[in-house]
Amino acid sequence: MRIFKVIILFVMISGLAFGAFSCQTLQSLTGPKATLVITPAETFLSPALFKKPVTFKGSGFQPKEMISVEMVLPPGLKMKGVKEGEDVGIAFATANEKGNFTAAMAPTATLNWFFQVGWTPLLRPNFKAAKPIPPGVYKINATGLDSDRIATSNLKIFPPPKKK
Amino acid sequence: MRKEYLIFLSIVLTICLSVVTLSSSAFAKEKAVIYLSLADYTGPIAGLNVPADKGTEDYINDINAKGGVDGVKIKFIGIDTRYDVARAVSAYKRYRRTPKLLVVNSIGTGIARAVGRLLVRDKRVQLTPGDGEFQAHLGSTFIWGPAYQDAFAALMDWVMDDWKARGKSGVPVVGYMSWDNPYGREPLRGGKEYAEKLGIKLLPPEFFPPGTLKHDVYLTRLAEAGASYIYVGGIDPTPTNVIRDGYALGLTRKIQFLTGYWGPTSLGLSIHAKALEGTANVSFFQRGEDTKMNKVVAGLWKNHRGSLDKLNGVYGMGIAWGMTYVGGLRAALKAVGYEKLKGLDMYKAYQNITGFERAGIQGPCAYASDSRRGSREIKIYRVKGGKIVPITGWRKTPDAVSLHKF
Repeated sequence: MRIFKVIILFVMISGLAFGAFSCQTLQSLTGPKATLVITPAETFLSPALFKKPVTFKGSGFQPKEMISVEMVLPPGLKMKGVKEGEDVGIAFATANEKGNFTAAMAPTATLNWFFQVGWTPLLRPNFKAAKPIPPGVYKINATGLDSDRIATSNLKIFPPPKKK
Repeated sequence: MRKEYLIFLSIVLTICLSVVTLSSSAFAKEKAVIYLSLADYTGPIAGLNVPADKGTEDYINDINAKGGVDGVKIKFIGIDTRYDVARAVSAYKRYRRTPKLLVVNSIGTGIARAVGRLLVRDKRVQLTPGDGEFQAHLGSTFIWGPAYQDAFAALMDWVMDDWKARGKSGVPVVGYMSWDNPYGREPLRGGKEYAEKLGIKLLPPEFFPPGTLKHDVYLTRLAEAGASYIYVGGIDPTPTNVIRDGYALGLTRKIQFLTGYWGPTSLGLSIHAKALEGTANVSFFQRGEDTKMNKVVAGLWKNHRGSLDKLNGVYGMGIAWGMTYVGGLRAALKAVGYEKLKGLDMYKAYQNITGFERAGIQGPCAYASDSRRGSREIKIYRVKGGKIVPITGWRKTPDAVSLHKF
């Protein structure tokens, strides 16, 4: 009877250990805690974002690894060119020797993913076809593409101020 | 009690075995490999990428309908990056651990440079337009045809021929205008040196921002500097619109306009045929009337898309991407078989399909251990009577990449 208990326990522990080792997320917990700071953390959607784009600062990543900064789209939110359930990349960077990074949203990213503009055949953004993303709090993830470390923060988008 | 344990243990073992059996049988049922396109379907260069990817997808669908490559099916995954590098990096991140992902086609050089760093680490093939740097520094990125500077150099050879054929004395004066970005400057990195070697007088280049509405200032400056030829870069409709402005200024009567790979297609012609008349174009893939005459390209288009009226030359280029993938896959499967097949095997295979033919859509494959060029040949086309017709056969391009220090 005891031997069966041991076998069952062995099977369960092996299963758990296998799951833990194959899970990339757990692997990422073994390194330092990654952090992400978004500036500004709260913003309106306005043309000012082209002059002063949303920027991301992170730490705790592997030195020299590439970082992908992604916006997690809430269920039901439709975005041009993005399938439902996909996160959308809004910036990228390479971590320095200390594992820190800074990235800013490029104008094309702001146009495509915040304003959701159309494009004319002359390669000019078409604001008439724009469908700006709705105001709300959006989860932003920065992921190290070698370490799989993930840092998370929130970006709040306010409705545009009412015109007086 | 012991009996209960035995039953419990049997259930656990049965479940484990079922999972293993089911997953392995599902795996065995469908042998498949992946082609990932980091594309632009709704962004600024969608007009070029949509028909090209249609060509790749239609070709792959036909191959799959015939049973695949030695029983291996190809899955085409197209991601709309809207020409945005951050989106492309994120999209590749999502797919990079996909088993049997063998090739990634990156629609822009900016995307290729960013994603390429990951692909080197993942030992996968990347395809990208025509930046000479990928030939100068050999890696896992392969370009679609001859490098931009090679094509520009071949065009300069033709300029010399044309100059002589017109009975002109002295040397031709060539103006250059293109987008103010790395792509716009690329043909000159080696192309400039080649033109100077030929004795051509190349005027200081004129660069303008993508999206410029009128180009009169740049055109006038080049005309006043004595240009007898003007090369117009950018992706259509930019070249079409520049030449439209040149036509309005009366310049097309005295200056021969030239365009690169992404010059006028049937789209530009349908709007500005009169202005484009006489324009010469260098291309590594068949276009215009040549495309319509190509039985493979026209046949696929008819089967999948309908009337030939809207057939665009870049559709054929997309078919050639698919053909190259199939050629590489066949070689890789022969070398290692399906079970062991990895991205690195495709990388080796792409270097071993030198001379591979693609139904005449472009020159023979020039990929090799020391070459990342998709082919070495170009043709010169001209707009005649509202149609794009070839005025030369295939010509081998000079190696202009080696003339520049990268």
